[in-house]
Parts: sequence; structure tokens; C-alpha cells
Amino acid sequence: MEQVFIKPPEKNSNVNKRELLFTFQSIIVTGLLAFTAIAFFFYNHLAIEKGIKVVFAPFLSVVPLLFVLSILRDLRHGFIEGNYAKREVIKFCVIAASITAAFTGITFLLSKIDALEILLAAIMAVLSVVFFLRSKIKDILGMSIITGIAEGIIIYMIFLF
Amino acid sequence: MVTTGISIVVFIYLVFLGYDEIKTFKDVIKIVSSVLFPIPMLFFARFILIEHFIPENTDAYKLKNQKPAVILLGATMFVGIGFMWLLETLTHQKLEDHLIFAHLINSTTVSSYVLNYILYNNLKANGILSGVMLALAMHVFFISN
Repeated sequence: MEQVFIKPPEKNSNVNKRELLFTFQSIIVTGLLAFTAIAFFFYNHLAIEKGIKVVFAPFLSVVPLLFVLSILRDLRHGFIEGNYAKREVIKFCVIAASITAAFTGITFLLSKIDALEILLAAIMAVLSVVFFLRSKIKDILGMSIITGIAEGIIIYMIFLF
Repeated sequence: MVTTGISIVVFIYLVFLGYDEIKTFKDVIKIVSSVLFPIPMLFFARFILIEHFIPENTDAYKLKNQKPAVILLGATMFVGIGFMWLLETLTHQKLEDHLIFAHLINSTTVSSYVLNYILYNNLKANGILSGVMLALAMHVFFISN
């Protein structure tokens, strides 16, 4: 726990701390997406209709992701050292809350999918978005969106599943 | 640290209490997600509030905040117990029948408590969070049967 929150003194800047938190958040989201896939797979008794589709499902979103990552430069200038202004904090909290609501809906749509390969493709698409945010939009905006995704999945699981 | 211990006991108790209610895979998913619920939110809060509010944990600071913290602890405890009692009377349902909510309250409070303990060390916030945890513990142990 202390390793997570209190960095060693030589790298003890806020930028590094923010980056670390961002990385942890994206790891949590990845875990949650895997959790969602497993949960829906076992609970809805999904069937594999065509084996070949399962092999090709991830490529659908991974290939465009790699392409975009390779040609695009960093969209933001990274994390800032100081505190955020009050207006920014409110703005990004609202963004996080609305993404949460949106992702509750998206998870609901995912639960309606009745074939494993389509579910896999959809989950991989979300995962690609997360990795894109993680590597290119290293900013509070990316953090708000990732938080929204995580909370949306959790809220769906608790209250609607 | 005592309150963290109490909360862990409550947590284990809740799991055992709900043990015979965990019938399907669905219940497991619900409990896991309710325990996970606060973590992304806390990371987000930590991300925004990167600076320490109160960096020093001096004797003078402790002395100054002792009284308000204790008052807040007591007040939150009674308000918490009263609120839960009121809610149960109004809806004619028991907290034990809705374990998800108990887990949700518990895990949220524990994570905020740990975060506060490590980073901000705000004694008033400590009082409030301890109050919530104690209220939940007392409610589960003594009041609802």
C-alpha cells in the first residue's frame, strides 16, 4: 500500500505519482473487463458458434489500435505538477459521472450479446480504447474517462445484473 | 487501526452471514463488485487532490483536533445507527437481506479510512469515518437480530 501512494524520494514528484495512479487505474479497468467477460460467459451460458471467429475477433480492434498508436503523436502534454483549479475539478467530475452512466448502459448492451465471439470483440474494443487513452491521452481527461468506465461496469454489476 | 480491525471483523461476519444466501454465481459477482466499488473512485480523488492537505502530524495539531474529532465520532455513530434504524423501520426490511449495501458501505469507508490515514491524516475526517464504521459494526452485532 505504501509503495503505491508514497514513492521513493528521488522520484517524488506529483507528475510521477499521477502517472502511477493512472497506470493502476488502467490495470483495474483491464481486470474489470476480464471479470465482465468471464461473468457473462458463465452466467449467460454463451456458446461458441464458429470457432474461427474467436480467433479473429481480437484483430478487429487491435489492428486499428496499433495503427493509430503508431502514427499519432501524444495528444496531451502529460500531467501537471500542481493542483487543479476548482472549475477543472468540477468539469472532470461531471465528465467521469457521465461516462459512468454511459458505461452502465454499454455494459447492459454487452449482457444482451449471446455469442462469445461478439462479446470478445466488444470487450477487446473497449480494452483498445483504454490502452489508447493510457498511452496517448495521459491527462486528467483520460483519467476521468477510465474512472467512468470502471465505475460504470461496477454499478451495472451491483445494481442491474 | 482499531477501527480497521473492527471493520475487517464485520466484513468477515457479513461474508459468513451471507454464506447461505450465496446460492448462485450471480451473488458472488455482486459481492466482488461491491467490494471493488470504491477503489477507482478513490484513485480518481487521489489523482485530483495530489497535494497533502495536512503534511505534519505534530502534537500541537493532535491536541487542537482531539475534541472535535471525538465529538464527530460520537455524533456520526449515533446518526448512523439512528439512520439505519429509521431506514429499516420505514422500509420493513433488514440490512442483512441486502448484504450488497452493507458491503458497499463497509468497503467504501474502509478504503477512505486507509487513504485518509496514509495521506492526509485529517483527524476530523478520521472521526467521521470511524463513526460510520462503528455504527455499521454495532448495528450488525447488537441491534438487528
